[in-house]
Amino acid sequence: MPQTFALHAMGTRFELVIAGDNPSVRAIGEEALREIARWHDLLGLFERHTELARINREAHEGPVRTDRQVLELLLLCRAVWEQSDGAFDPAIGGAMHRLGFHPGPQGQVSPTNASLADVLIDAAACTVRFARPGIRLDLGAVAKGWAIDQAAAVLREHGVRCALLHGGTSSIAALAAPPGEPGWLIAISGESHTQHTVVLCDSAMGVSAPRGRVAAAGGHIIDPRSGAPSAAACTAAVTGPSAALCDAWSTALAVLGRRPSTMPASYASAIEHSPDRWSIQGAPPSHFSRLPRETAA
Amino acid sequence: MIDSTRREFLVQSAGALTVMALVPQLSRAAEKLTGPVNVAIIGAGRQGRAIIGELQKLEGVKIAAICDTLQSRLDASLRRVQGAEGFTDHKALLDKAKDATAIIIATPTHLHRQIAVDCLAAGRHVYCEAPLAHTVDDARAIAQAASKAGSQIVFQCGLEGRSNPVYKLARSFFRSDAVRDVVGMQAQSFQKTSWRFPAPEGMKDADANWRLNPDVSLGLAGEMGIHQFDVVNWYTDATPTSVTGIGSIRLHNDGRSLADTISLLVKYDNGAVLTYDASLANSYGGRFEVLRGTNAAVKLAWTHGWMFKEADAPTQGWEVYANRQQFHNDEGITLIADATKLASQGKLKEGVGLPQPPLYYAMADFVASVANAKPSACDAAAGFRSTVMAVAAAQAVAKGETVKIDPAMLKLGGA
Repeated sequence: MPQTFALHAMGTRFELVIAGDNPSVRAIGEEALREIARWHDLLGLFERHTELARINREAHEGPVRTDRQVLELLLLCRAVWEQSDGAFDPAIGGAMHRLGFHPGPQGQVSPTNASLADVLIDAAACTVRFARPGIRLDLGAVAKGWAIDQAAAVLREHGVRCALLHGGTSSIAALAAPPGEPGWLIAISGESHTQHTVVLCDSAMGVSAPRGRVAAAGGHIIDPRSGAPSAAACTAAVTGPSAALCDAWSTALAVLGRRPSTMPASYASAIEHSPDRWSIQGAPPSHFSRLPRETAA
Repeated sequence: MIDSTRREFLVQSAGALTVMALVPQLSRAAEKLTGPVNVAIIGAGRQGRAIIGELQKLEGVKIAAICDTLQSRLDASLRRVQGAEGFTDHKALLDKAKDATAIIIATPTHLHRQIAVDCLAAGRHVYCEAPLAHTVDDARAIAQAASKAGSQIVFQCGLEGRSNPVYKLARSFFRSDAVRDVVGMQAQSFQKTSWRFPAPEGMKDADANWRLNPDVSLGLAGEMGIHQFDVVNWYTDATPTSVTGIGSIRLHNDGRSLADTISLLVKYDNGAVLTYDASLANSYGGRFEVLRGTNAAVKLAWTHGWMFKEADAPTQGWEVYANRQQFHNDEGITLIADATKLASQGKLKEGVGLPQPPLYYAMADFVASVANAKPSACDAAAGFRSTVMAVAAAQAVAKGETVKIDPAMLKLGGA
């Protein structure tokens, strides 16, 4: 019998399914969720005691020494920011606040052209510094995937071979496949009348979609390059080895509305340009199967 | 009605004077060290890793060495800390890492005694996680070794409430007319977890799950409750005289014998009573302490604190400018650790909640005590008293009866 686990963190609900029902499986599942809770405590934007809040508070005054793993995450963000030509940019915090996505007082006014170029990372010294006041990092587009990657590493470290882990259904990691199946069958919900599905086996997925909260100026997805709602905003799904990279790239693709040539070849993408018009790249079209909505899993 | 901007303005001007008079100035940043402190961590498990994370934030602190009996766990920690030397035996660390003058012990509770005594005998400053030990004898041996080491050697017991800026601020209110005479105390620690941990490769399951072994673990009362008992002890200066306990397994019927749900009633020599509940079967309400006085109640939840005033309590000048939070029918005044500074920066609203995790402040206090000859935030005598209380509470739960606490037992020289 599989065991299921759940956790409220990062403003959403994480779920984990592991095959097996002995007490050691419970211990491993809880350990994996504790890892997600730990990242919630490091990357939360709205609580004062998190590592990200500390960086946002202090990095404009000088270099802030931070946790090596947090630094690794920032380096991952910088790589995607560069490769996506700024379509993915965690220095979007100021714009998100301005557009009403973030509650609370503004604090220092954020420059309208803030970008990750303003975030100076010294990997050797393990420090982060903001080049200008008012820069505000928001790792919301990558945190769930990153936490899922770390939790999946905990599962593997303890010998779990078969499991599925997701955060808010938009960030997913699949370890192996359920017994007798080629993989975990996941449905991608877009605006289309048909639904795409993907079978994940030792792979991850991130989905970004223009749904959920709406900016005061209209729109759900913010283009970091303009600081305004994206004109191209569309649903984008990315599959590949790392849930964090899937998350980051799905965000970039949802902003761009297309796949740039700089996106790593090991990641497959599906972009919904309009209802029933999807472009699938980086994988055979069969990687994302199309099902009538009523029969999709 | 005063809008929030005007409130903050008033706090910055006339109101600030009264806030300043009532609120101790608690710095947001850690105290500056007069010199560098080289630290070693013994025990690289979950708590050891959290400690490493907080130490890495502190200026002037170098993690010189890490010790863990499990090579894989040691290697993982060393990867996080540049330049630290690794050891699998604490005696080898004491012999070879002579520059590591301050040692943090984060091993399982029942392994503290030998390590702490050896570290103190080697003339090192020691931070020992709480409870000090799982038996009164072991706790006394550690506390006496700390006492024998002399005033030049810092010993801090890891009871984090004593370093927490919100708790320090709330204590200043608690010991003033704002709260007045003690009515009673209640505390709880609720979470939903099996409290089982997977054994890393190379470790036996029993070693990874020592918390579930009644021979070496004080259970929920000792491992969770001690931090909360200590808050009560520290706030009230009262002496516990007896503890009545009851426990059962409500959810985790997986072969364990230690209760996953407990209730305690602790009587103090001043007539006040602490009621305590802890569970691993339901998380509602989480972890907090409530201390009631005749003028107000203080609620403390580790990163946040509030004061709930009685209607007939005297009004204090600063109250009209304070941040408030509604809890059903009650309105709590938010206790902000660095209110004066934040008010002067116009950031009072941003101050709700502790700026760092509670463990950070305990680490900052320890290294400041070592570098700046500052008194320990929680000395051996205080750590010993709360450990004795935790041992009594664990016994009370195990037997389902009342355990008397002899005042002589709480003294370091006691039997």
